[in-house]
Amino acid sequence: MRKFYKQFKLLLLFTFITGVAAAQQFTVTGKVTDGSTGEALIGVNVVIKGTTTGVITDIEGNYSLDIDGSSAKLAYSFIGYFTEEGDVSSTTNTLDMVLMEDVTKLEEVVVTGLASSIKRSNLANSVASISSKELTGTTTQSTMDGALYGKFKGANITSNSGAPGGGISIKLRGITSINGSNEPLYIIDGVYLDNSTISAGLNIVSAASGGGSQSNQDNPSNRIADIDPEDIESIEVLKGASAAAMYGSRASGGVIIITTKKGKAGKTKISLAQSIGFVKILNPLGVRDFNEQRVKDTYSDDEVALFTAAKNAGTLRNYEDELYGHKGLLSTTRLTLSGGTDKSNFFFGVTRKNDEAIVKNTGYEKTSFRLNLGHQVTDWLEMDVSSSFINSSADRGFFNNDNSGTTMGISFVSTRPWTQLLPDADGNYPNNPNSASNFLQTRDLITNNESINRLIGGVSATATIFKDDKQNLKFIGRAGVDYYNLATTAIFPNSLQFQKDGNGTNGVSVQGTTVNRNTNYSAFLVHTIFPGSENLSLTTQLGLTAENFDNNGILGTATNLNGAQTNLDQSGSRDIAQSRLIQKDRGFFVQEEVNYNDKIIATLGLRGDKSTNNGDVNKLFYYPKASLAINLHEFDFWSMDNIDLLKFRIAYGQAGNFATFGSKYTPLGGIIINGIPGIRISSVQGNSDVEPERQEELEFGFDLGLLQNKIGIDFTYYIKTVTDQLLTRRVPSSSGFTSQVVNAADMKNKGVEIGLNLNLVNTDEIKWSSRTSFWTNKAEVTRLDIPSYTTGGFADFLGQFRIKEGHSPTEIIGVGANPDEDGLVVFGNAEADFQMSFHNSINYKNFEFSMLWHWKQGGENINLTTLLSDLNGTSFDFDKIDLDPEGNLGNGDYRLGELGSNSAPYIENAGYVRMREIGVYYNIPKSIFNDVMSLKVGFSGNNLINFFEYRSYDPEVSNFGGKGLSSGVEVTPFPSAKRFNFHVIANF
Amino acid sequence: MKNIYLKISFVLTLILGLGLSSCNLDEIPDPNNAGLDDIEKNATDGDIRTLISGTESLMRNDIGFYYDVSGIIGREYYFFTGSDPRYTGELLGKGESTLDKAGFYGTRPYAGRYRVIKNANILIAAVKNVTAFSDQEKNGIVGFAKTVQAYSYLLALNLQYQNGIRVDVSDPENLGAFLSHSEALAAISSLLDDGNSMLSSAGDDFAFTLSSGFSDPVAFAKFNRAIAARVALYQDNKAGALSALNNSFMDLNGDFNDGPIHFFSLAGGDAINQVFRTPDQSEALVAHPSFITDLRPNDSRISKVAVRSGAAELDDLSGDYDVAIYSSQESPIKLIRNEELILIYAEANIGTNNTEAITALNIIRNTHGLGDYAGGMTDAELTDEVLYNRRYSLFGEGHRWIDMRRHNRLDQLPIDRTGDDVWEQMPRPVSEVGVQGG
Repeated sequence: MRKFYKQFKLLLLFTFITGVAAAQQFTVTGKVTDGSTGEALIGVNVVIKGTTTGVITDIEGNYSLDIDGSSAKLAYSFIGYFTEEGDVSSTTNTLDMVLMEDVTKLEEVVVTGLASSIKRSNLANSVASISSKELTGTTTQSTMDGALYGKFKGANITSNSGAPGGGISIKLRGITSINGSNEPLYIIDGVYLDNSTISAGLNIVSAASGGGSQSNQDNPSNRIADIDPEDIESIEVLKGASAAAMYGSRASGGVIIITTKKGKAGKTKISLAQSIGFVKILNPLGVRDFNEQRVKDTYSDDEVALFTAAKNAGTLRNYEDELYGHKGLLSTTRLTLSGGTDKSNFFFGVTRKNDEAIVKNTGYEKTSFRLNLGHQVTDWLEMDVSSSFINSSADRGFFNNDNSGTTMGISFVSTRPWTQLLPDADGNYPNNPNSASNFLQTRDLITNNESINRLIGGVSATATIFKDDKQNLKFIGRAGVDYYNLATTAIFPNSLQFQKDGNGTNGVSVQGTTVNRNTNYSAFLVHTIFPGSENLSLTTQLGLTAENFDNNGILGTATNLNGAQTNLDQSGSRDIAQSRLIQKDRGFFVQEEVNYNDKIIATLGLRGDKSTNNGDVNKLFYYPKASLAINLHEFDFWSMDNIDLLKFRIAYGQAGNFATFGSKYTPLGGIIINGIPGIRISSVQGNSDVEPERQEELEFGFDLGLLQNKIGIDFTYYIKTVTDQLLTRRVPSSSGFTSQVVNAADMKNKGVEIGLNLNLVNTDEIKWSSRTSFWTNKAEVTRLDIPSYTTGGFADFLGQFRIKEGHSPTEIIGVGANPDEDGLVVFGNAEADFQMSFHNSINYKNFEFSMLWHWKQGGENINLTTLLSDLNGTSFDFDKIDLDPEGNLGNGDYRLGELGSNSAPYIENAGYVRMREIGVYYNIPKSIFNDVMSLKVGFSGNNLINFFEYRSYDPEVSNFGGKGLSSGVEVTPFPSAKRFNFHVIANF
Repeated sequence: MKNIYLKISFVLTLILGLGLSSCNLDEIPDPNNAGLDDIEKNATDGDIRTLISGTESLMRNDIGFYYDVSGIIGREYYFFTGSDPRYTGELLGKGESTLDKAGFYGTRPYAGRYRVIKNANILIAAVKNVTAFSDQEKNGIVGFAKTVQAYSYLLALNLQYQNGIRVDVSDPENLGAFLSHSEALAAISSLLDDGNSMLSSAGDDFAFTLSSGFSDPVAFAKFNRAIAARVALYQDNKAGALSALNNSFMDLNGDFNDGPIHFFSLAGGDAINQVFRTPDQSEALVAHPSFITDLRPNDSRISKVAVRSGAAELDDLSGDYDVAIYSSQESPIKLIRNEELILIYAEANIGTNNTEAITALNIIRNTHGLGDYAGGMTDAELTDEVLYNRRYSLFGEGHRWIDMRRHNRLDQLPIDRTGDDVWEQMPRPVSEVGVQGG
């Protein structure tokens, strides 16, 4: 802190002694217009080159600027447009300027320091940006996380299931943490967002992970799903430490920076949009084609009689259709108002969404409000406020693994088509003799709901403390809060097959309340100076940051319910669990950026962080960064006409990842025996020396622009090393503990990202733009201080991940012939060989057409849905013969025959090619409506076309949610859906 | 320039207001739990009592797996569940499958026992620093802790058998070596003796309450000796067994069911009996068919199973009877009971006093509807008779597998499917392999 003030004084001193010399002066005026529409551009920055002096254009696009001296060079810049320059002098003192829209995005501004930004063409990192058009322009998005699929390079985005309300894991540039979180840090308008997944306490019924209420197999959504994608102006993705170092100890998984929409000066714009659509199951598998012989072989003679009777009575049921065949309705209504004056601007948006899903009684409802305000308080002070309120409710059904035969998924795969589950005329459901539960009864009677009320607000103040024509000093202060109250409600009434007649616990009601409050504050000084010539600028920033996290979850579980009551009081037995998370982080950040005439741009920075989550709370962890970009095409010697851009860039940085909260404590938890309270040692041994994981990343590459930048090519190679990897070390269980979190491994990710952007056709009548992305990543464990171990699944013979030095951390092992020294065989890898996405948009007259394809090549899943179906004799491909190398056995018998001795049949290729999004729109011109409004109508869809050989509903699946390595293990999930939408959008 | 002071005060106000001026962080204690360090160094008498209840409670932790593993491998019963193939696969050695050193069935009951031992070690360490207790009270607490530890070691050893177990585990960073089966039995025996001598100098009352029964030093010492008798039997030390029985709660004329229990309750936060499964469901604890076929006429122990309305079938196995030794999730499980002690008494007398062995056996037989023993008098014939009665009297209580093993009779257990195996022991848990001494 003391250092900070010293620096501050120095800066102030410096600003005072820099004199201002005045001599000749003239005024230049002009108007700035859009090159394609001819409309005035409001808010264009007009700056005297080599100085900080400038103005912005007014509502008519006009500007007026006083200039010292007799001539000057002016630079005109505006977000989304190419920057232009022009010479003025006391004689030529009017200059109108036409700016062309930047389809290449080279001019777009990218955040590189905590308080500064840089235009993309000067950037030394490969930072992905997603505009609102890419995010929501093609189709209505169900959730914010779901909107990101296939839209940028270097990411592996996987949905955990098809359950409504989200639940997605995002891994940027491969796995960064074996045991901790791989999820990126989300920041919206400067506010640190909570992205927890909070279990609804279903384990008391599912028993998926032994006793108790809590487990990671409940398939909760992650809280980033709350953010309304329609509110977003742009998303920047800092994929690795070289770009994300300034976020320090939380940035190892990358950072996703979300900027919401702001109003623009001018007439108030009103937009009203309605979309209506439906969902259907993405990949129905069908049911096994039974005949008498097959029933006899799989089950018994008794079952043959039942089968024949049902066949004759016409009551053989297609239960897949019964359970997953619902065509749920989708509806999204959206109203936005935005506008402003030259001093103030506002943006207001409301979204009301009501989506059903493919299983009856499940769905997602959301209402969200956003109000963003900006105001120029004085000529030196600007204030911005961003606020949103979200209310959402997700009914997520009851799926995934269990040990009690109660989830709908497990019960469904256990049930034979001749078993009768439909309720009688009085609504009484028969018991399911094939399983502990009748899944139709479960579907109709249970509740598994997550409801949230969430308030996210941020405020920022930008004060220009000092300014002359050679330098300026700005202060930026920010504060943000993310507050929510999440209620989870899981009700299993005692009329259910698995809760009545001595089964289960005569009804279960689990009610959870989580209150979360994140606050973050920061203060920065940014000093920009042009020492000497116009060719050099130096930007210095320094700042302090503080983040506080407070999460308090209470889960009440009542069993033995009084009749149909669901109140926790109305029960014979109650249990309560509480978990609190309190963490405080403090940090500082300094950065120096040198820009030599846009030819050479170099940055050096350092972040220091400490946190109460570390073993030593006051130890500072330092994260440096450095980068260099060279724009060869800006140099005078450049003479290649058709190459408009050639930039070489290299960047290095470090970032961290905290241990899971509580890793440093060895706790004694509470327990009760016969009403007497007791304390017992945790099975997890604390580690009082625990430190953050440290990621070090070096990336380099080039950007190439050809034919007036109509063709853009970018190439990036990165090496990402994660040291002090936090592992859950298996400790000898004779110690009384079973695990401990230790810093015990290193890992290396190497990858390539290639992009090809084409904007070859751009006429008034037809525009075509195309973006092709390719990315691949290879990971390897380079150091492991503990014995190699398997994790992330259920058992080695069913397929697990293995952590072993010299091997990929995502390799999938099992048992089989010719085992290695661990007695295991490698059957695959959860990581894809490569991924590609292909986005095209075509505008022809009033038609807009866009399409996004996504190809994931390779990568394996552990498919235990098939295992459980096989064990119950219900697999859709049970009798098909395409697995047995000898061609004798049906797939079901073959797989079961290999069970225990060969894991291969249940480890399957999870690659796919799918059309993520498609949209077709027609713009009805304003003239039809007397210029009062314009109308846009269209059709869109998600995941309408899919190709994969994976033998289940969707290769994108995770029984264990998104944590660590565990994605890609499938146990009877909520199947994924296709979404079809019709749109009407009116703009006033 | 004139409003520079305004600007500076604006900035400073914001910096101070944002709370950025304080850079030092204070350690935040675990908001959710008591801390180990604190308990070991500064426990109160109240903390000690909660540690004791916690230790007693932990004894139930994953204990269901212990009974299921020995019941399934010992061919006493099957567990049919659609949720996990390992109960009818690996545990029965189906086809080519073998036991998994990382499988929950082996690792969880093992780790569960050592967690009890750890909690008791914390108790032993913490109680030293508590001034609120008298020396007698401390003896009672340590006597309790050591007895409970010995019992837990014994169950872990029963699973591990010839793999042996660690007994010196007080320092998690420096665990002792694995002891062989016989060394471990000797260590357990001497730990029981230690506990017994502490209990004998612990006065008349404990300074704590246990959930039900055996709540004073004298009664608890009788439990200690009962376990000592079991250990002596496993050591084939028949004299030792008889001497231990003498000081135990064995009562030849008493209720067979007397003995300390694991308490279970559906009350919130408490634990339930994990061996109980609702009868006549598709997910079921099914008695091995040999239970019925081998049962002698008139043996009333047929009441330990209940006929199903339809056969249970899974994985080419089937059975017509459910295990019915417990009636609900709240039924207690006995740690050791009088009937076992009488059977130990009978077995320990074989070879030295066969008449007394028959007397004890007749107590068991008569109670279960069988007349007096009329078979041969040789040691071997009497051993057969003891094993029959142990099989049915202690059905589902974790004995048959161990009994057949210690009498080298595992090959007499029935094989249901071609290729099935009868395992001799659990593999050493994966956490113990490849580490210090492992």
